[in-house]
Amino acid sequence: MSAREVLERVGWRVVGKPVPRHDAWDKVLARTAYAADWEMPGMLVGKVLRSLHPSARIVRLDTERARSLPGVVAVLTARDVPRNTLWTDVPGQTTEVGPLRAKVHVLAEERVRYQGEPVALVAAESEELAEEALRAIEVEYDPVPGVFDPQEALSPGAPLVHSDSKSNLLARWTVRTGDVRGALARADVVVEGTYRTQFVDHAYLEPEAGVAWVDSDGVLTIRVATQVIEHFRDVADVLGLPHNKVRVIGTYLGGGFGGKEDVTVEVFLGLLAWVTRRPVKMVWTRQESLLARPKRHPFVMRYRTGALRTGELVAQEVELLADAGAYAFLSALVLLYASTTACGPYRVPNVAVDAQVVYTNNPPTSAMRGFGAMQVVFAYEQQMDRLARELGMDPVELRVRNGLRKGDRLPIGQVLETHVALPEVARRAWQALGPAQPPSGPHLRVGRGLACNLQPYGRIVWLHDWASAWVGFEMDGSVLIRAGVPDVGAGQASSLCQIAGEVLGVPLDRVSIHVSDSALTPLAGTTTATRQLMMSGNAVLRAATELREHVLRVAAQLLETTPVELQLDGHEVRTPDGRCVSLVRVLRECARVGVPRSAFATYHAPAGDPIDLDRGGGRVFPDFTYGAHATEVEVDTETGAIRVRRYVACHDVGQAINPQSVEGQIQGGAVMGIGYALMERVILDAGNNQTTSFSTYLIPTSMDVPDVIPLVLESGEGMGPFGARGIGEPPVGPPAAAIANAVYDAVGVRVTELPIRSEAVARALYELAGHNG
Amino acid sequence: MGPRPFRYERATSVADVIDCLRRGGANARVLAGGQSLVPLMNLRLVEPELLVDINDLPLAHLRRENDAMVLGALVRHQTLEESEEVRALCPLLSEAAGLVGNVRVRALGTLGGSLAHADPAAELPMVSLALDAQLVTEGPTGSRTLRSEEFFRGYLTTALEPAELLTEVRVAVRQPREGWAVEEFALRQGDFAVVAAAARVQLNDEGRVDVVRLALAGVGPTPVRAQGAEDQLVGAPANPRRVEAASRRAAADIQPESDVHASAAYRRHLTYVLARRALTRALARAEEATP
Amino acid sequence: MKERTRLSISFELNGSPRRIEVEAHRTLLSVLRDDLGTVDVKEGCDEGVCGTCTVLLDGRAVSSCLVLAPRVHGARITTLLGLSPDGRPHPLKEMFVRHGAVQCGFCTPGMVLTAYAFVRSHPQTTRQELRKALAGNLCRCTGYAKLLDAVEAYVREVCSVR
Repeated sequence: MSAREVLERVGWRVVGKPVPRHDAWDKVLARTAYAADWEMPGMLVGKVLRSLHPSARIVRLDTERARSLPGVVAVLTARDVPRNTLWTDVPGQTTEVGPLRAKVHVLAEERVRYQGEPVALVAAESEELAEEALRAIEVEYDPVPGVFDPQEALSPGAPLVHSDSKSNLLARWTVRTGDVRGALARADVVVEGTYRTQFVDHAYLEPEAGVAWVDSDGVLTIRVATQVIEHFRDVADVLGLPHNKVRVIGTYLGGGFGGKEDVTVEVFLGLLAWVTRRPVKMVWTRQESLLARPKRHPFVMRYRTGALRTGELVAQEVELLADAGAYAFLSALVLLYASTTACGPYRVPNVAVDAQVVYTNNPPTSAMRGFGAMQVVFAYEQQMDRLARELGMDPVELRVRNGLRKGDRLPIGQVLETHVALPEVARRAWQALGPAQPPSGPHLRVGRGLACNLQPYGRIVWLHDWASAWVGFEMDGSVLIRAGVPDVGAGQASSLCQIAGEVLGVPLDRVSIHVSDSALTPLAGTTTATRQLMMSGNAVLRAATELREHVLRVAAQLLETTPVELQLDGHEVRTPDGRCVSLVRVLRECARVGVPRSAFATYHAPAGDPIDLDRGGGRVFPDFTYGAHATEVEVDTETGAIRVRRYVACHDVGQAINPQSVEGQIQGGAVMGIGYALMERVILDAGNNQTTSFSTYLIPTSMDVPDVIPLVLESGEGMGPFGARGIGEPPVGPPAAAIANAVYDAVGVRVTELPIRSEAVARALYELAGHNG
Repeated sequence: MGPRPFRYERATSVADVIDCLRRGGANARVLAGGQSLVPLMNLRLVEPELLVDINDLPLAHLRRENDAMVLGALVRHQTLEESEEVRALCPLLSEAAGLVGNVRVRALGTLGGSLAHADPAAELPMVSLALDAQLVTEGPTGSRTLRSEEFFRGYLTTALEPAELLTEVRVAVRQPREGWAVEEFALRQGDFAVVAAAARVQLNDEGRVDVVRLALAGVGPTPVRAQGAEDQLVGAPANPRRVEAASRRAAADIQPESDVHASAAYRRHLTYVLARRALTRALARAEEATP
Repeated sequence: MKERTRLSISFELNGSPRRIEVEAHRTLLSVLRDDLGTVDVKEGCDEGVCGTCTVLLDGRAVSSCLVLAPRVHGARITTLLGLSPDGRPHPLKEMFVRHGAVQCGFCTPGMVLTAYAFVRSHPQTTRQELRKALAGNLCRCTGYAKLLDAVEAYVREVCSVR
């Protein structure tokens, strides 16, 4: 019986219901101990000394004075790090660049490549002493010419960011299908555009933090805000310890969005705690976080799109150039996501994508919600809007006409195996805007825009992803789940409780969960790539289903019937004719006859081998989530100011496990996307970060955004539990394009650079009006 | 993080403040609401040796004296925003105070602190120009009364001498047939204005502009009074054409700088737009206001 | 080491009288978190911009990162914990949970306290006024709609029926 069939039988008790999350109660009652809230006796304060320069040689690094300060317990530089390199492998990298082993030094050796790069670590008895120690470290830098623009970084003679590489090119992907040149020549209409996106920051409210200590069994233990508890291996490798001697306990996060996917404080804390043999706490300031942590990739995207008079797309030629910043991190994979989704949720028979990501002396870029598949939306959805206008077609109809269907192939050759909800999401979102509203005052114009997207959920198939979970009954009939899932605030843990509670017929207040401890919870992989609902959700579903079978088998013997007839319902097991036995009695019977009262399960995602994208290779991702956003904006024709008046975000989530959580993800993602569209910007001046505070790095407030109207469609065809699809990343993609299209609709100005600055709109309007100022 | 250590004195009188400041020399700072100073200290951009806390001084008074509103330097933004008396007698001040920062800043930030900090993009310094405020100070050589125009000298710089304290602000109460308005453009709600304009106009019985004050923020190192624009309006009946011309003049008279937030040309353009809107709204209010 | 001033301050924290020796340069945020273990107050930006460190000082929402310790002498301080003096969840908190206003939870303490203080002084408030009142508290998860839903429901279902 499939999970959905089981559900049909038992009647959807908690799955699909907007039940309050247990972690929400903990949070309002101030019971949640975030990473920075943890204290240990004898705890030291750890701090990082960071480079002031974006590109320099370290001529002298003298820690003598710092070490000698009273109360300073440790001062570490690269020389003190047993193995000073963190590695990331990127499987499937194209051969032009060579198989990529991304690496970054834990602490800078003789060269710094971005402003804020870690140079030294200190641990001291107090915050103030740790600061004194940082001030006492003497560093002499010799600035070296850097390169700050990816296009310049590719030109011959550009300074090499990494002197051991032939050029600044870090990775390249190409996608080829059909004959683009020929098709563009045959097209009735060709629209061209160049689009630029900016560096942005995750800007979660909780800065990076953790506490590390060596436990009584000699295990280096790190309690940290992370999306990836499996960084325990990185810590072990740096220290030269066996992997089984390092433990990471993940806390509930104050937001992650991809920014706590790469290592943050873990390795520094591990080093300091191991060297001092005392607990060490490290909390980054907001300024440090904004200065030095990896950002979202800025892209330059050149598009040529060809269509027939009928609106049928025939070709898309795409060039992508992304800024990797000073170190590789996950840049190659981010670029892969961008390359493989560059044509959006549309059927395009002839495609050429050429994508490059390049080293510069800007801050490194890496994972952030949307992971390369969101920047391209800004380009392909404005291309669609241009096409619709060129052809005089309705924007919704043009998209529906070209929308992919189940069974179609993406340009990379991947066949879409589940429902593609493009027509529904586009129509529903557009309709939900309702009747047009007049402008609210003089000098204002109103316009509407639409943008659709597809976003992968689940990791790249050649990573052979898996997740495990353990589900068990206690003797009193309560349920316990153990799952190595970091909960980043999106309700991951709570959704697993719902799934187990549903299958086992136990009310949610009788379900408890332990998450995110690399020593004690079965490993479930990372809370990234919108994968956890599918991965851990399926693992918990399997374990709970197996457990249910054990218990019903025993109950059936007690009730002298067959398991299939039985209902597990709260505290008892019932037959259709009303006979019942208490759950506790059944569990005791399990114990007596030796039937397990727990189950452990591992879910393996669809897997495959790396493909050659050049030849339309095939599958890259397990599946996709489809969405459409529609917005109505008001543009001040004098100042260029843009106000988003109405905003609708529609996604096919397959099956909402918790509709309230799903809506929250959609609303939050859309607002993050609105920030990306209108105000967010890491401003760099020759690699120097000008926006290292929350008064200069602007994220939207409640006054800047309307209430996002979430429309949740449920096709039931996702690969997650009960047919769910992931919804963490998808909503961040469409807003920038939807708003840009609405601005064009309002005032006839096509903005191709993010953020959409009022000044740019005002300037364009001034030029449109024929002034030559 | 937090500020680096400093010596702290809790002042008990104005004389006490002056004395502390004199002994503290160049590295002494006054603590009022702290909403501009403490962030700078937290970010280590300011590291005073001595902090003189004036919050216990009896300077939170607020009263009418004939045609003037007298406001102690420690009146909080929230009071300016919400006090019925300020709203009735000095609506421009309460409208501007409501635009400052966020609720938390408004709960503690003070009128005197905002003026003495003299951020060129801040609302209250700009409004003090529009209101032609009189600023009363106390210092080692006694008391002075400065016009707000003399007060703002440069970027975060005022006419306050070392060891001098701003104690009181006096503004004219709203007259019959007087209108007012503040317009601002910010990159985000509640943020410092990229450009802002504050206007106050008074019409005579024939509907001519008797008094007009137009002040601008975000267009230079200090808040600016747009005198050229005022001159074009005063003594004549106000109509959209004149307002337009005056606003263009306001934009022509400033020398804004380019920065990461806005180019000089855009600031100039915003000045024209916001000045025109502020003047238009102020005039509409003046015409509505029955004696 | 820089010169500093030590002083003794007395204040009321969530209904209990406290007296501590503290250096004058310490912020209320740091005193609460590091000296008194009141970690329901969060640290987010050090500039008074984000709102995660909001506490009530004599009933008004303030940024505890911008309040220096001496200014707390004689004051009443309320943190998230202090909103449930009888141990029962405050109805506003219940609304936050019921309406899905809590995701990562890091902005929650400041958001609850800001809303509580504002609604107490503006019992007849509207959604648009709430929008402005909460504009100084950043949230990166919810997009604000469910936060406003929660506070609005509190105004409608709890405050207006009292």
